[in-house]
Amino acid sequence: MSEGYGTIKIPKELLGKIEERIQGTEFKSVDEYTTFVLEEVVKEDGEEEIEEVFSEEDEKKVKERLRALGYLD
Amino acid sequence: MLIIFAIDALEYTLVEEFNCNNLKQKFYGKTNIREFSEPKTMVLWSSFMTGKNMEKEIVAKGDREMWNTRLDFNDTFFKQFKNPKIIDLPGFNYIKEQHEMERKLLKEYFDAKDEEGKKKVRTAYNNLSFEHHRKIKQEFSEALKGDYDFVLGYFSVADVIGHLNFGNRTMMKMIYRDLDEIAGTIKEPYIVLSDHGMEAVGIFGDHSNYGFWSTGFKDLGSPRITDFAGMIKGLSDVKL
Repeated sequence: MSEGYGTIKIPKELLGKIEERIQGTEFKSVDEYTTFVLEEVVKEDGEEEIEEVFSEEDEKKVKERLRALGYLD
Repeated sequence: MLIIFAIDALEYTLVEEFNCNNLKQKFYGKTNIREFSEPKTMVLWSSFMTGKNMEKEIVAKGDREMWNTRLDFNDTFFKQFKNPKIIDLPGFNYIKEQHEMERKLLKEYFDAKDEEGKKKVRTAYNNLSFEHHRKIKQEFSEALKGDYDFVLGYFSVADVIGHLNFGNRTMMKMIYRDLDEIAGTIKEPYIVLSDHGMEAVGIFGDHSNYGFWSTGFKDLGSPRITDFAGMIKGLSDVKL
């Protein structure tokens, strides 16, 4: 174990899910992904991350824009 | 060697927000692209490398043919260098099949009728983009070790992923962190440049009407994207 790092235990089922999730992403290991997610959760300044949700209206709007930009026929 | 780290849709406000110090360098700001009626990727990169506004010429080709633009080396400022290396740049040598596949999946996403179908296409789309990103990253890293006097690496991941995921802050932060890490590996003077930025439309992303620039050696003020062709050769003599 590298200096400055500790070990945590997580359920095997969750481990498997994380392994699946990081496939095809920039995360090179479960450790890296877990650190990244935990950093997001344990923010010292209490800043909240707002994740947008899907809406049909947004989809319609962006589809038109992508057409104007030449991405869609 | 002078290096251009060309990042499609790198958004000024996110570089600030995520505190990407290697992307920001000492001097950074927004590029002025107001002379263009639409912030189209192919128009902007073509204008960048020729130093003139190419909107009329590129738009006249039509939206489909536009993507096949391949400018002649002698019409670009790259000819000022003895041994330049250009990686995947739209309008010059970008990998057509890859980017066609991205646009095909984008269309499939909007054509999908239900949530499950959209989810599947989005995953395939994201994976395709990340896989390409890894290849370009590798090629860029090898080019930096090569015997070139100019290297330009074009990275599309922030744009491609951003169009369907810009509202997913965790994913965008991951991408910006990776881009920042790539910038951190560059040991020679480099310019970070984007064609345009990105603004949120809910979970999606649309092009914003300004780009991003940074250098570690000179304040460029508020340049137009067409100004770089004339100034880059002069900048190539700077030492870290």
